[in-house]
Amino acid sequence: MQIECPFCGKRDAHEFAYLGDATVARPDPAVPDAARAFYEYVYLRDNPAGSHRELWYHSAGCHSWLVVTRDTRTHAIETIAQVGAR
Amino acid sequence: MSDPMPNPRFAFAGHLTAIGSLVAGAGITLMPKDDLALATVIARKGQAGVLGERVQALFGIPLPARPKRAAAGKIAFIGTGPGQWLAIEESSGDPQSFAAKLATEFAGSGSVCDQSDGRAVIRVSGPRARHVLAKGLPVDLHPRAFGPGDAALSQIALISTLLWQIDEAPTYEIAVFRSMAGSFADWLIASGAEYGIAAMS
Repeated sequence: MQIECPFCGKRDAHEFAYLGDATVARPDPAVPDAARAFYEYVYLRDNPAGSHRELWYHSAGCHSWLVVTRDTRTHAIETIAQVGAR
Repeated sequence: MSDPMPNPRFAFAGHLTAIGSLVAGAGITLMPKDDLALATVIARKGQAGVLGERVQALFGIPLPARPKRAAAGKIAFIGTGPGQWLAIEESSGDPQSFAAKLATEFAGSGSVCDQSDGRAVIRVSGPRARHVLAKGLPVDLHPRAFGPGDAALSQIALISTLLWQIDEAPTYEIAVFRSMAGSFADWLIASGAEYGIAAMS
């Protein structure tokens, strides 16, 4: 599998570290049921067969964080976007 | 009684001795670049445009927004990531003063960190340079894909490398973390042995 880094260009997946689900958002620790919200946020992750939004980190290259939309069955990549571009 | 100051020791000192004297018809030539001043420059949030204007005004260099090397005279800037660059001054007599000067000039728009002692740079050139690098670098260096002025961050033998191309000889320069200079030299010598290696100082 290759990932096209917006800065570096197309690189082997080995240059990237997989950081998991990009669809979840960190809960607000101040809400009353924060413990349950964090339990679900940390442990109850979906494992979809098909299109999935994932965080990848270009650890061996430009150190960019990327949101990659990838089909988990075919590894076909639909979109790649940089997180927090300066 | 005070301890004497240790003598400065170049990063590749002693690591290229296995090559021996210059080989006629060598496929690759290695040349450590010991006289560089190096500094990382990172744009402050929202200040990349201001920083680019400062670099243009000071050095006449358009700050590259891509993995490219832009140079004028003794100064070069290499894009190493979004909003990040490696600044280089050639033949620097006083490496630390380069980062200090940049920090003053870029105050408010960019953060500067001296890397003159942190990175080791070696020049790899010759007709077989591409063949040697292809053994370790997972980046296409074919002239169709990569030419003078292009740069790439990647890994060679699990050693983080920043490589840029100088000319079509081809000549490349490679920066690694200084503590990896010995391991990287070992890889270069082992990988280049079949083509014949010459070392220049």
